Amino acid sequence: MRRSRTIRRLMATTLPAALLFGSVSSTAVADPMHGRNMSTYGLAGGIDTPTAETLPDGTLGATVSWSDYGRRSSVVFQALPRLTTVLRYSRVEGINDYRNDGYISDRSFDVRLQVLDEQGWRPAVAVGLQDFIGTGVYSGEYIVATKNVTPAVRVSAGLGWGTLAGKNRVIDSADEGGTFDAGDWFSGGAKPFASVSWQVNDKLSLVAEYSNDKYQADYRRRNGTIDHFQQGDDEPGNNLNLAAYYRFGNNYEAGLYSIGGETFGVQFSIALNPREAPYPSGLEKAPAPVRPRPAVAADPDGWSGVWAQDPTAQPAIQQALGKAMSDEGQILESMALTSNRAEVRLRNQRYISQAEAIGRTARLMTRALPPSVETFVITSTADGVPTSSVTVRRSDVERLENTEASQIATVAALTDAPSSAPGLVRTPDVYPRFRWSIKPYWDLGIFSAEDGLTNEVGAEARASYELMPGLFLTGALRQRAFGDIDQRGPGIPGQRGQHYTAEEYENDPSLETNDGIPRVRSDTRMYTGNHDPVIPELTLAYYAKPTETIYTRVTAGLLERAYGGVSGEVLWKPVNSPLAFGAEINRVRKRDFDQLFDFRDYEVTMGHVSAYYEFAQGFTAQLDVGKYLAGDKGATVTVTREFANGWRIGAYATKTDMSEEDFGEGSFDKGITLSIPLGWATGTATRERVSADLRSLSRDGGAQLNVNGRLYDRVRDSHSVKLYEGWGRFWR
Amino acid sequence: MNGAIKITLAASLLAGLAACGNTTGDDGDMGALGIATQTAGQILAQRRQSEQATAPAKSPQEAAAEALRVNPGPLIQAGFEGLGRTQIMAMTGQNGSMRTFMTPAEEALILRGGMLVGTRGLGHDLSVAEAQTEGMIRAGASGSGTRTMRYFAGDGIERPLQFTCTVGAGAKPGVTVENCEGHGTSFQNSYMVSGGQVAVSRQWIGPNLGYVTIQTLRP
Repeated sequence: MRRSRTIRRLMATTLPAALLFGSVSSTAVADPMHGRNMSTYGLAGGIDTPTAETLPDGTLGATVSWSDYGRRSSVVFQALPRLTTVLRYSRVEGINDYRNDGYISDRSFDVRLQVLDEQGWRPAVAVGLQDFIGTGVYSGEYIVATKNVTPAVRVSAGLGWGTLAGKNRVIDSADEGGTFDAGDWFSGGAKPFASVSWQVNDKLSLVAEYSNDKYQADYRRRNGTIDHFQQGDDEPGNNLNLAAYYRFGNNYEAGLYSIGGETFGVQFSIALNPREAPYPSGLEKAPAPVRPRPAVAADPDGWSGVWAQDPTAQPAIQQALGKAMSDEGQILESMALTSNRAEVRLRNQRYISQAEAIGRTARLMTRALPPSVETFVITSTADGVPTSSVTVRRSDVERLENTEASQIATVAALTDAPSSAPGLVRTPDVYPRFRWSIKPYWDLGIFSAEDGLTNEVGAEARASYELMPGLFLTGALRQRAFGDIDQRGPGIPGQRGQHYTAEEYENDPSLETNDGIPRVRSDTRMYTGNHDPVIPELTLAYYAKPTETIYTRVTAGLLERAYGGVSGEVLWKPVNSPLAFGAEINRVRKRDFDQLFDFRDYEVTMGHVSAYYEFAQGFTAQLDVGKYLAGDKGATVTVTREFANGWRIGAYATKTDMSEEDFGEGSFDKGITLSIPLGWATGTATRERVSADLRSLSRDGGAQLNVNGRLYDRVRDSHSVKLYEGWGRFWR
Repeated sequence: MNGAIKITLAASLLAGLAACGNTTGDDGDMGALGIATQTAGQILAQRRQSEQATAPAKSPQEAAAEALRVNPGPLIQAGFEGLGRTQIMAMTGQNGSMRTFMTPAEEALILRGGMLVGTRGLGHDLSVAEAQTEGMIRAGASGSGTRTMRYFAGDGIERPLQFTCTVGAGAKPGVTVENCEGHGTSFQNSYMVSGGQVAVSRQWIGPNLGYVTIQTLRP
């Protein structure tokens, strides 16, 4: 009962079918009010002023907007149909801090919630917070309404506070930032703003707006005085801003704008919608069709099951099936065969959706197995450990081939898989398994206020030897070729902008604690810039499954660039449960900066307990509570949105008992993770992904160990929520 | 936020440029460089392929004759209007009255008695079509019914589109026409039926691929 409810929920069509048609069906479905152009702040809007528009749900975009006032680089994510989030890195001209550069680099976050959509006479209404974590240069709040006046003309009007009212807030220089100052929100007096946009044709739109932003900033120094700055050269000459935006392709937009008639700016945007894949169904080759069984009279021996007495039958069948599966990107790890039941253990090497691997294997089984075999058990494995079993009757596979995928889902059973099953025979030549690769690597440091854009290019050799199911010996070797990420000590306390040299830092171990706090990540730059080969990873890992719902991992060796030791993890995750619990404990020692086999003095036992939950609509949440690398205790909350096509976008924040002063700028650790499957962009069937982790690496508070192979994501692919989400691919 | 913020972001990107090895993607991440090179490689390969494809311009008639000579099994000739190509497809499987036909590149059309059930390997595939009008079309009768066509949307979820269809005799003798409407669009399928089997037809695959013309070369 519960299973069919899950299926209904996941396969229900909650979104308009218009997605399949693009604009063709716009007459049939009322369009939500999606933005026509990006504002200079990188979300749907006017020029500097906001609107009540949204972007299509799930859109991930980036905008760079540049004028004499500064450069804003924004990443926008439409996290929910009505909730827009923005992360922004800006270079603000005209403000001096201790660096005395004539500009500052600033990070800011925005959120916007569309509280009402446009209906009949009623305009869409949104409430937004701009630069809302701590007080910042762009801090301001707004309420705005947007209405389509004609199909081509759209008008917005609203009330703004803070910078949007031309009343920038005074920034406290001593504040480390990163905390909410909700008391300031919607305070200091409001002023109205307005914009009008005219969609001239498919490509071109023109915008005019009335804005109150004076482009100013005020800082309260430690001695109480207030420094006043004008961003750029001058205050805008008047309140009128004008812009033209040109859209090319489906994903790009270029814009030209003027602020107050005297200052001109250019901007460029890219927007990707996970729902708009170039090849939504994939370009993979068609699966081998089901081969129905012959009539009993045509194959009496096959139907009677006497073939099972022949000891040569299973090896021959296993070899043939293994070969067919490997052509479709699967490994047949082992198989148990009786006269009426077959269990195969499959490792999916190709498809993002585990259901596709299972569906293809089921069809290959109809082609390989004698007619008397009626029960198919298809067990998925990850890292050599079985994670779930799908049991289906062969006659259902024959009967339901190429029907709506939920029909086979309702007759198939998904159960926990025991670690071994009677009669299971390992396929010869699968173990030991050796894999290797040599690839160039490109390390990129972006958004660093100190250094600007830095990078390092080199080659990485990586090899993995799987001695038996679940036991992996993994190693990597890196050689830098060139780049400008150089070795450097951490910042000198009390002297902003100054760093210890690598020699100073290495020769004076007392520098490795800062005010009693061990430097666990703030000296991360000491691990870069090696001109000799380094070993980023050299581990022996063992994955096992002591009970049907408990998974374990033990990893020992050089776990990551900066730490080596032992890491142990246990995870409880029943196959049909959206809830999971885990625990991890690590005993690690800090590695020497040459990243070979030497260690430094710092040693710590740390770890956490975790709870995981899979919500509806592709949201998952994770809570970790425990002790971090520097010995500080606290918790990490992670929320991730993932799509059936494999896109994953997540955000996390860590708060520990380390004080804000000790933690330093930002006050607590936070970051964004992003992972896009390569197949989404190219249509080819592959499990490869492009991933990025946008985080502050240089803080000592809330620092996590970066050990590879954590269990949850590996186990979950073949568990109910993810499996049924992608179940539509069973007959692909 | 404090103006003097210091951010060090490190995105580690492993490039697939000139990479070699035997890893198969169950454990690999690749970076922006990798994507760029792989995509460029694919585009080049496609271009090369299309150049090769256009070079020996074999007429559909010649191709059909050759296929009939080489392959003893059931064969169809399919003209994909959206893709702008005509191909011979051979039967690779039969399950009851449902037959799967594939091109040499293993793109598939799935037909039930000549009526289109689904496509595979074309990038904008029809997962499955469920037509209440099937019986009327085979019987050469008139009437109306719903037709549900299921497709993958870009987010990886299969979604049904429902159309209201009417079936009747077409302008040409022996041709049955099915007119369908829904979701702000409409299409028209045409069938030439003999003995309950659809011998020649022009059927709509979906919004992206448009129509396919299917001719039975050998039943």
